[in-house]
Amino acid sequence: MMEIQSMKELIEACHREKKSIGEIMLMMEAEKSGKDEGTIISMMEERLIKMKEAVDSGIKDASTAPSGISGGDAVKMSEYVHQGKSLSGDYISNAMSFSLATSESNARMGVIVATPTAGAAGILPGVLFSLHKNDGTPYHELVKGLFTASMLGLVIANRSFISGAAGGCQAEVGSATAMAAGTIVELKGGTPQQVVNATAIAMKSLLGLVCDPVGGLVEVPCIKRNVIGTSIAFSAADMSLAGVKSRIPCDEVIEAMYKVGKDMPRTLRETALGGLAMTETGKEVKERLFCRKS
Amino acid sequence: MEFQSCFDIIGPIMVGPSSSHTAGVVSIGKFIYELLGDYPQETNIVFYDSFAETYQGHGTDKALIGGLLGMDTDDSRIKYALEKAKECGMQYQFEFENDCEYIDHPNTTIVTAKRGDRVVKVGGVSLGGGLSKIFLIDDEMVAIRLSAGDDFSILASPYQPKGKALVKAI
Repeated sequence: MMEIQSMKELIEACHREKKSIGEIMLMMEAEKSGKDEGTIISMMEERLIKMKEAVDSGIKDASTAPSGISGGDAVKMSEYVHQGKSLSGDYISNAMSFSLATSESNARMGVIVATPTAGAAGILPGVLFSLHKNDGTPYHELVKGLFTASMLGLVIANRSFISGAAGGCQAEVGSATAMAAGTIVELKGGTPQQVVNATAIAMKSLLGLVCDPVGGLVEVPCIKRNVIGTSIAFSAADMSLAGVKSRIPCDEVIEAMYKVGKDMPRTLRETALGGLAMTETGKEVKERLFCRKS
Repeated sequence: MEFQSCFDIIGPIMVGPSSSHTAGVVSIGKFIYELLGDYPQETNIVFYDSFAETYQGHGTDKALIGGLLGMDTDDSRIKYALEKAKECGMQYQFEFENDCEYIDHPNTTIVTAKRGDRVVKVGGVSLGGGLSKIFLIDDEMVAIRLSAGDDFSILASPYQPKGKALVKAI
C-alpha cells in the first residue's frame, strides 16, 4: 500500500505513476478505505456542496454572531466588489468575499466544512469558488482540487500540525493557505513540483503567526486572517506558475513550522492569554462576554 | 501517522466554530454514548489546558454534552445541547485543570460517565481538524482514532463495560 510521508515522496509518486497530486490522493484513499473511486468522489462532492451552501448563505447574511464581535462584513465586501471598486482584481476580491461569508457562518455555529479546520474553513472555498466565478473552472474540477488540497494537508498534518492550539495560527491558517496555494496551481495546470513550491511559498509567508483569539472565539482575528490567506494563496500560486521556486524545500519549511510551533509559548496557542486577546479591547470583550453568560 | 484519509483534512461537515474545540469533542462524547449504549444519567467532565481556557467561546461544553446525547458533528441542535441535557435529566458537572497526568496535549478531556450500574472513565484528545483519539478507558491506556465518518458503535463495542464490576472506576 502506498504511503506518502513527505512532499519529496509525493512528487516522486506523481512522476512514477504519471498522475497529478489529486489523482494520487484518490488512488491512496481507494486503497486504504476499500471504497471505489466513484463513491469517494461523491463523498467529496457532498463536501463541496456544503461549502457552496455556507458561502451562499453567508454572503447575504448581515446578522452578527452571538458574541456580537463579528458578522456583516461579507455583505459589505461583496457590495464593494460588485461596485467595481476593488483594487485587488477579481480573483482575489471574490475570494475575499467568499472567505468572509464562510468564516462568518462558522462563527454563527452554522454548518461548514473544516478545511482542514473550522478556524481556517474560509480559505479553500474562497479560492475555489473564485476560480469558478472568474474562469469558469467547473465544479467537478473543484472536487479534484479538494483531493489535491487534502493530499497536501495530509503531509503537513502528519509532519507538523494543523491546529492553532498545537502550533499557533501558522499551523492553522498557514496550513490552509499553503493547501489553497498548491491547489490553485494544480487546477491551473502546474506540475507537481510547482504545486509544492506554491505550498512552500505560502507557508513561509505565515510562519510564526500566533493564535490569539479574542475571548477565545474563532472570530477576531481569525475571520480576517482567512480573508488575507486567500490573497497570499493567489500570490504564492502566481509566483510558482511564473517559475519562481521556494529556496527552502517544502518539507524543510514544514519542519521549520513544527519547530516554531513547539517553541511558541502556551499563551500564544489558542489559550486567549496573549497577543490580540490580551489587548485592552480584547480583554474588555472577554469580560463582557463572560459576564453576560454567567 | 494520525491523519489517514482525505476526509480527515477536508471535513468533517460540522457546525462551527472550531474543529478541534467543537467537532472533535462531539466525537469524543459520541464515543462514550456508544460505549454506554445510551446517554449517561450522570457525568463528570474535566477540561484541561486550552479546553479549560476557551471552552465557552468554542462551545466545547455544548459539543461534549451533545456528543454524550448521541449527536453527530453536523447536528444543528448542538447549540442547544445543555438545554437538551436538562430535558433528558442528565446531571453534568465540569471541572477545569491545567495539566493532565496521562497525556501532554492542549486539547484534553477526561469524562466519567454513568448509566444505571455501568460506569466508564474515558480520556480523549482532539488532535485538530475534527480528528480525535481516545487514549484512556478505565485507567487502561488505549489508542482509538475517531474520525467523524466512522461507525463509533463498532469502535466502542470491544470496550463496553460489563456492569457492576467497573463501578469502582468512578
